[in-house]
Amino acid sequence: MILRNIAIRHGRRALAAPLPTSQLRSLSTETTTLPQQTDLLPPTFSNQSTLENSAESGPKQLRITQRLGQAKPYHRAKKDPQIKRDFQLKKTIERTTGKLGALVEPHYEPSQLLVDPPTPQDVTLELLMASQSHLGHATSQWNPANSRYIYGVRQGVHIISLEETAAHLRRAAKVVEGVAYHGGLILFVGTRKGQSACVVRAAEMAGGCHLFERWLPGTITNGDQILRRCRMKAIDQHDKELQGYDDKIENWQALKPDLVVNLNPIENYLLLHECSLNNIPTIGVIDTDANPTWVTYPIPANDDSLRCMQVIAGVLGRAGEAGQKRRLAAAESGEVTWLPPPNLGAPVSEAEKIKRNELKKEAILKKRKADHEAIEQSKVTAAQRELGDFDDF
Amino acid sequence: MARGLNLKPSRVYQIVTQILESRGMPQPPPWYKTIESIPPAAILTRTQPVQHRELRKSKKRKPSRMFHPQPIEYEEDKLRRDFFRDHPWELARPRIVLENDGRDGQKVDWSRGIQQPGRQLSGESVVQRQLWLMNEQGMPNSQAYDMARKEFYHLRHQEDVERRVAREEAEWVGADFAKGALEVSMELEDKSYESWKSWAEKEVEVLNRQRDGAYTAAVTEHGDDTFERLGGDDIVVESTDTPDQPS
Repeated sequence: MILRNIAIRHGRRALAAPLPTSQLRSLSTETTTLPQQTDLLPPTFSNQSTLENSAESGPKQLRITQRLGQAKPYHRAKKDPQIKRDFQLKKTIERTTGKLGALVEPHYEPSQLLVDPPTPQDVTLELLMASQSHLGHATSQWNPANSRYIYGVRQGVHIISLEETAAHLRRAAKVVEGVAYHGGLILFVGTRKGQSACVVRAAEMAGGCHLFERWLPGTITNGDQILRRCRMKAIDQHDKELQGYDDKIENWQALKPDLVVNLNPIENYLLLHECSLNNIPTIGVIDTDANPTWVTYPIPANDDSLRCMQVIAGVLGRAGEAGQKRRLAAAESGEVTWLPPPNLGAPVSEAEKIKRNELKKEAILKKRKADHEAIEQSKVTAAQRELGDFDDF
Repeated sequence: MARGLNLKPSRVYQIVTQILESRGMPQPPPWYKTIESIPPAAILTRTQPVQHRELRKSKKRKPSRMFHPQPIEYEEDKLRRDFFRDHPWELARPRIVLENDGRDGQKVDWSRGIQQPGRQLSGESVVQRQLWLMNEQGMPNSQAYDMARKEFYHLRHQEDVERRVAREEAEWVGADFAKGALEVSMELEDKSYESWKSWAEKEVEVLNRQRDGAYTAAVTEHGDDTFERLGGDDIVVESTDTPDQPS
């Protein structure tokens, strides 16, 4: 195909996130610009937007399809100019060669769930079904506590109700947004194979932390030992690092998350148990064989499907991103939505530090001098006493 | 191990409220206000499941099964069972069950025929076409099945012809196809037959020598050369199509 050959000649990096413009055209509400091509198309498939029930038609166009035409460079381009140049080259190639070749029907692209995750507003029952979130485990493996989330039995497997999944997912998204707005630290955990990418992306968007390897028991209850090598920093309401807290940070207790989002609670019971001991709320994806009492906010869904986990992590990451944005916007207008820890106090400036060191040094010298004098004095009195003893004779 | 339910995760807000009231914490944690306004969902309650079955004889389901999820059934299920009972090898054809956006079912139009763009041709298309004919055109079951089936056979035949022609074209321009499964299995069978044959020859040799030994012993005793005259030595194995197994 012509498109691929030209792209390869220009370099491999230009193919970072393929988004053919032919795909954009078939998803938009506008008709095709080239009259010859519409004549060639069979009548029923000329334009998806002519179908009344289609979500792509009219003002109810899905956000996700709207955003396909506005692909933005990934934010790392701000740090690496080569990425920005490659992206611009890719866009030029797409513009010139995108209309050539066959019309590619809109289809599922796995990479798009990581590059452009869905927002809580994009959560529909169709999206959840396409992501296989309704497929539970064999009926013999179920936990009866989950019966309220199950729609029925099909082919020996429990089917999770899509409405329940959507409702619980939206609730969890609101919680993540609220915690991010109030300056809470969110930890995204997904220790199964293949979950690392979506967990890292979600944490990045929500401004939180991620974990995709085994949880070390005691990371919360024995954090001072296990997390002793982790760097801490003090930031202001605009997320800028503050100077003058080095001494306090050195002796500060290990940080604990304010909200934990877990994509596979069955394998992370210890993590959830530690959270309950420390009164940390948790969000977890509960399959038909999991225990819903382990988490504060269960999301009944299929934890064995990577696509489903990418959708859920993406939605929660987007919610966190929205919360962070709102928090920073409030800070810009002068409103701080969180309270600092009570023991932190004011920052200690350099001048103040030098002054304190000087005072400390003076105090030490004074003490040494006083001790020295006291020793000298005691020696003199001892000598006098000795002489006095001889005088008695 | 502690027994019973641990409901601490669901009661995080209530526990922290008590701690704050007793002044065990200097200030509420960052999540406090959010969780206050968004209480966790109810858990552990057994609700009556979605009813997929009609009530028969207006009797409630047996009490022990009243709260169990019910099997989901569709009218296509019977048609699927019938089709795949008649065409079991269609189950051997691989099927892609990946969905694009979940609206794939809205983009089909079974009035146009059994072949739909973006959808694989399989027993499922036969069933859907049959269902459309039954519901929209009021055809009886067997007639709709026959019509859908015939369209399906036509398309499968076309596929087979295309495959054969493509192979011939490729061979004409120099393609070298690997041995088919049948060829490979015939060669393996021939190999194992040859190895059996050489084993059988050795066994017959052994038997002959044993028999010779017996006869030779008899001849030396009585001084009779009848065996040698008859040429009893000359039992050889001839290759036949259906050799007998050694007893």
